[in-house]
Amino acid sequence: MESTEALIDCQSVWKVFGDRSDEAIRAIAERDLTKQDILRQYNCVVGVSNASLQVRRGEIFCIMGLSGSGKSTLIRLLNRLIEPSLGRIMVKGRDIAALDAAELRQMRARHIGMVFQSVALLPQRTVLENAAFGLEVQGVPRDQRNRAAEAALAKVGLSDWKARFPAELSGGMQQRVGLARALTSDPEIILMDEPFSALDPLIRRQLQDEFRQLTKDLGKSAVFITHDLDEAIRIGDRIAIMKDGIIIQTGTAEEIVVNPADQYVADFVAGISRLHLIRAHSVMQPLVRWQGVTDGLPRCSPDADIDALIGLITSSGSDAVAVEEGGRLLGIVTIRDLLLGVRGETEARAA
Amino acid sequence: MEELVSAFDAQVDNALFWLADHASFVFDFCRLVLEGLYAGVLGLLMLPPFYVIAALAGLLAWRVLGLVPGVVTAAALALCAAMMLWPETMSTLALVIAATVIALATGLPLGVLAGLLPRLEKLLTPALDLVQTLPPYIYLLPSIALLGYGPATALIATVIVAMPPAIRLTALGIRQTPREFIELGHATGVTPLQMFLKIRLPFAVPSIMAGVNQSLMMAFGMVVIAGIVGSGGLGETIYGAIRTLDIATSINASIAIVVLTMVLDRVTQAAARTK
Ligand SMILES: Nc1ncnc2c1ncn2[C@@H]1O[C@H](COP(=O)(O)OP(=O)(O)OP(=O)(O)O)[C@@H](O)[C@H]1O
Ligand SMILES: [Mg+2]
Repeated sequence: MESTEALIDCQSVWKVFGDRSDEAIRAIAERDLTKQDILRQYNCVVGVSNASLQVRRGEIFCIMGLSGSGKSTLIRLLNRLIEPSLGRIMVKGRDIAALDAAELRQMRARHIGMVFQSVALLPQRTVLENAAFGLEVQGVPRDQRNRAAEAALAKVGLSDWKARFPAELSGGMQQRVGLARALTSDPEIILMDEPFSALDPLIRRQLQDEFRQLTKDLGKSAVFITHDLDEAIRIGDRIAIMKDGIIIQTGTAEEIVVNPADQYVADFVAGISRLHLIRAHSVMQPLVRWQGVTDGLPRCSPDADIDALIGLITSSGSDAVAVEEGGRLLGIVTIRDLLLGVRGETEARAA
Repeated sequence: MEELVSAFDAQVDNALFWLADHASFVFDFCRLVLEGLYAGVLGLLMLPPFYVIAALAGLLAWRVLGLVPGVVTAAALALCAAMMLWPETMSTLALVIAATVIALATGLPLGVLAGLLPRLEKLLTPALDLVQTLPPYIYLLPSIALLGYGPATALIATVIVAMPPAIRLTALGIRQTPREFIELGHATGVTPLQMFLKIRLPFAVPSIMAGVNQSLMMAFGMVVIAGIVGSGGLGETIYGAIRTLDIATSINASIAIVVLTMVLDRVTQAAARTK
């Protein structure tokens, strides 16, 4: 299976909350209505509005948006904790709206793990029993499920705590147990709804790095919700930005920073440091525009980030870097290009 | 208006007599079962000498409450025996146990259903409100008409009074599972039965135990009142003592009641807290 295969394919999905949601949906299908129109005319809240996204195998897909933008609603649509008002959601090639109760349970138990912001560890159970919960529900014998749970707890560094109760653990440790619980059933997809939002910044960074590493090592795919752009950038392979229920832009961190879809996104990314985000290939200019010689210039790959380019220029004393791939020159990055890049602009936009 | 009321009263009387005449085998059967249960429990309690029961109760209190309450419990029960009220104390205890067992055996499942089905709860709530507002000795009247003078009547009236808290608090506990845990259950792929056993029930345990404790206490109060219909036990002792103005006996019996109440209340409450 190639890596571009979409594990989750969400096609034009809407969720409208309220007593008159049927009417509202019919009106939406007929004419263009904004979230405000629907609230005013039908007294219904639009949670998610015409959202389409694909999560590929092995990818960490972040959904970023402010409070009330519909992130939780969207992620709950993916495992049908919430039924969509309109649109189709395919998980592993199956339309989840068509699953019957038993098939849906199977799908959730085996293929889609979930981690919650509230952690939701069962307080009456030990850490080990919590971690083993998914397999217990599936009827796996105690020995076997405890072994799997112990392995998952070891992955998150909590082997010594398995006999404790959740109340004895710190917030960060509880969140690790939540992750271990999701990993124990070995699902292909992990849904995470702001799992780290309640943690202090230091623990949070640590968990972000651990989570990314672990997900990549295990080859899982993840949908990760956050209201923090820094977190989305640290963790996500691709990021979708949501506002008022609408996904306004989807792309890699670099694509979003370099090419914000609108002013809202631009304002959002304004404060983000470009040093490690923007790479040579987005700031370089074509060879033809470079009047000087290329022979003495330091070389870099198209994937080198601005930080590395600055290092090359300051250490070599040259005022430009040549970008090459496989021995072929692709372009030149001048100091001016670098400075523009630091501000998130490219030559094309600045000109 | 008055005629209407007296006509209604006559109807009720007729209905009761009709029931007593025509369905007497049903009530006889009920009486046999109830008295059998009561006699069984009492027989068990009276089998060993009093100091064995006192020691066992002390041991239990020691386990769940600590050493001092354990010793006090054993001593207090021994005091009941010293006041020459041991058989009465045990028959009161037997009534309470029998009534509570019946009340819980029906109240807990009903409470679970009410917790799961909001419609049933809507139906039950006014009925429970009514049962709990009327003065408890009211329930002695229809029972005495149908079951006659004796422990069976006391038991039925006690069950009626003891059941509502068990139903209410069980329903409350089942209903108030935190939302995020319900969501966790769904996201994990639990079956409806697993949702009940593994998620709703564990969260409901403290509330259910509080219901059990309250049922027990209600049963206690009622069993004493039921002395009036010849329930036997301390209630009847007090009732008799009041009629003969035997103040000393009535005080002794009251002390025995207080002892029994405190022991049962504290032990069940502590047991509810520990698990
Ligand atoms: N069950 C519901 N009934 C009615 N409206 C709802 C419901 N759930 C969510 N909404 C509405 O849908 C919108 C999106 O809510 P959602 O919880 O998805 O936002 P969010 O992006 O997760 O926000 P936060 O960061 O605060 O968690 C909000 O306006 C909210 O009021
Ligand atoms: Mg949310």
